[in-house]
Amino acid sequence: MENFASLLHGFQIALTTHHVALMMAGVLLGILVGVLPGLGAPNGVSLMLPLTFSMDPVSAIILLTSLYWGALFGGSTTSILFNIPGEPSSVATTFDGHPMAKQGRATEALSFAFLSAGFGAMAGVILITLLSGWVARFALKFSSPEYFAVYFMTFASFVGLGGASPFKTIVSMAMGFAFASIGMDSVSGNVRLTYEFDVLLAGVSFLIAVIGLFGIGELLQTMEEGLRFEGVKAKVSPRDVLATALKLPRYWLALLRSSIIGIWMGITPGGPTAASFMSYAMAKRSSRNPEKFGKGEPEGVISPETADHAAGSSAMLPMLALGIPGSATAAVMMGGLMIWGLNPGPMLFVERPDFVWGLIASMYLGNVVAVIVVLATVPLFASILRIPFSIIGPAIVVVCFIGAYTVGNKAFDIWLALAFGIVGYLFKKLDYPIAPLVLAMVIGDKAEDAFRQSMIFSQGSLSIFWSNPLVASLMAIGLALLLFPLIGSTRRGIRKLVTARAAKA
Amino acid sequence: MISRFQAEIATALATLAFGLVIVNGAREFGIGWDSSGPQPGAFPFYCGLLIALASAGTIATTIGRRMGGSAALAGIFLDREQGKRVLAFFLPMLGFIVLTVTLGMYVAMLLYLVFAMRFQGRYGWLPSLATAFGTAAFFYFGLEKFAQVGLLKGPVEAMLGL
Repeated sequence: MENFASLLHGFQIALTTHHVALMMAGVLLGILVGVLPGLGAPNGVSLMLPLTFSMDPVSAIILLTSLYWGALFGGSTTSILFNIPGEPSSVATTFDGHPMAKQGRATEALSFAFLSAGFGAMAGVILITLLSGWVARFALKFSSPEYFAVYFMTFASFVGLGGASPFKTIVSMAMGFAFASIGMDSVSGNVRLTYEFDVLLAGVSFLIAVIGLFGIGELLQTMEEGLRFEGVKAKVSPRDVLATALKLPRYWLALLRSSIIGIWMGITPGGPTAASFMSYAMAKRSSRNPEKFGKGEPEGVISPETADHAAGSSAMLPMLALGIPGSATAAVMMGGLMIWGLNPGPMLFVERPDFVWGLIASMYLGNVVAVIVVLATVPLFASILRIPFSIIGPAIVVVCFIGAYTVGNKAFDIWLALAFGIVGYLFKKLDYPIAPLVLAMVIGDKAEDAFRQSMIFSQGSLSIFWSNPLVASLMAIGLALLLFPLIGSTRRGIRKLVTARAAKA
Repeated sequence: MISRFQAEIATALATLAFGLVIVNGAREFGIGWDSSGPQPGAFPFYCGLLIALASAGTIATTIGRRMGGSAALAGIFLDREQGKRVLAFFLPMLGFIVLTVTLGMYVAMLLYLVFAMRFQGRYGWLPSLATAFGTAAFFYFGLEKFAQVGLLKGPVEAMLGL
């Protein structure tokens, strides 16, 4: 009940004309960012962030989260109409969404996608409403060793559950930590790793990394593929939307299952992309007619969309309550919180309840606004993609580098963004995961501080990480996650050896 | 033409080198342990070491899979056609950056957009110039006037008194 009262107070904050206008603006910008290739949710948020420095934090976060919702919706639009996922997390939507559009059922596919996405997002937000206060209260008991254990667990789960080669995940993650440690060391006051370059004194901003890795890197990849937009025309009439909405309850099981998958992947750092693929696979496996999947089955649109948005919104829970982002975009937002002078984590609920509950309330409203706005503007944004890429591409380049410059007003950052762009292009092509790098850059300093403070408590003894049941169990889960792929691959190796021997005999 | 194997190895060697640079840079501040825990260089030192070791791991597994006759590794990473497309996009972008740091962002933006539209997109002069000036004006008013954010300016902006 306490949460409910706080939520009502949050609605009072979020439901002002100013904030609703910001939501609309955020959603529109987000759809634009989501529709354009090369610009996704993480770097859309990065590009906007410097413009919010002078804003009130509540307004700023409403603008950025709305942009995030908009980007998620925009990504699905291009998946369905053009067979080009505007966001990595909407790749799974192309499997059935585009076939539906080609069969002349574009409106139905879009309505299904947006409505089920809205449902998924709501499920995520309701979970945040119910759990965040409780998680934050629990986390108030944490001190440095527990925090380090939670960070350790987060990164261990990337290595263990990420799906990419563990070596590549470790490279990407440790590079993030290394970038985070460049510049002034907050504990000792030393200036580290600058190799006498003055421009590195202030460190390397994670925003530059995001703009380069996600923006420039993705553009280079898009160009290489020789992109052609051959879209299906769509006009969304309110009557068609209503007819589709009435069909939606028939898929209650898919909605429910996908929401649960999405929420789980959002809270653990699996992220929306993994959630949407997993949900699609589960829907196909449990379907009575799996052969229809890939040929325009509505459930193949509903499942990934629901999970994608459920994961996107529930990724905000660990960010708010623990200070650990559940996705790359959440990591950028958390970096924003720190720049605005807020300290993400359990103390935020005590110090700035207006901010936390204003944000949660805005997530309810923002998603409703997003569904309405996206349905109303589909034809407009689809027409943007018909502008040839020789205009859109350079325009996106200009936007990315303007964004890189405005982060710190340094010309050096422009070069840095280009370097990150090349790294991003190579990493994407070679299946290095990029999210761990960004996450490590954002929470690198906090993780290092937590470790060193623990060491100061214990006078340099690692045993502090096993000193009480809470921290010990967190560390144990972390180690288990880390060793998980190792156990799997040795098992497979042994089995291979055994079968090879059996074949010889 | 670049094969996937070559690209894997080259990238892993580059990350290996990066790891060693970090390791070397961290040594300056002490990588040991004292009574208050790790010295300032320890954390970056181990990160660098981890990068180097994991890169070596990638190299080893890649070579191992290559010897095992993996088809994916023999595949093409980038063919001539794709390489041309990437360069056709990358080089003007590089030019844009060089112009940005020398002549300022607005001038660079104009030249870059005109070049891309006129010579790569094969539009006429009029639409190219109109789009470029329109974009520059949009950013000028949107950023400098509305959001109060200044961009990198060069001699031309100074001359015009912007």
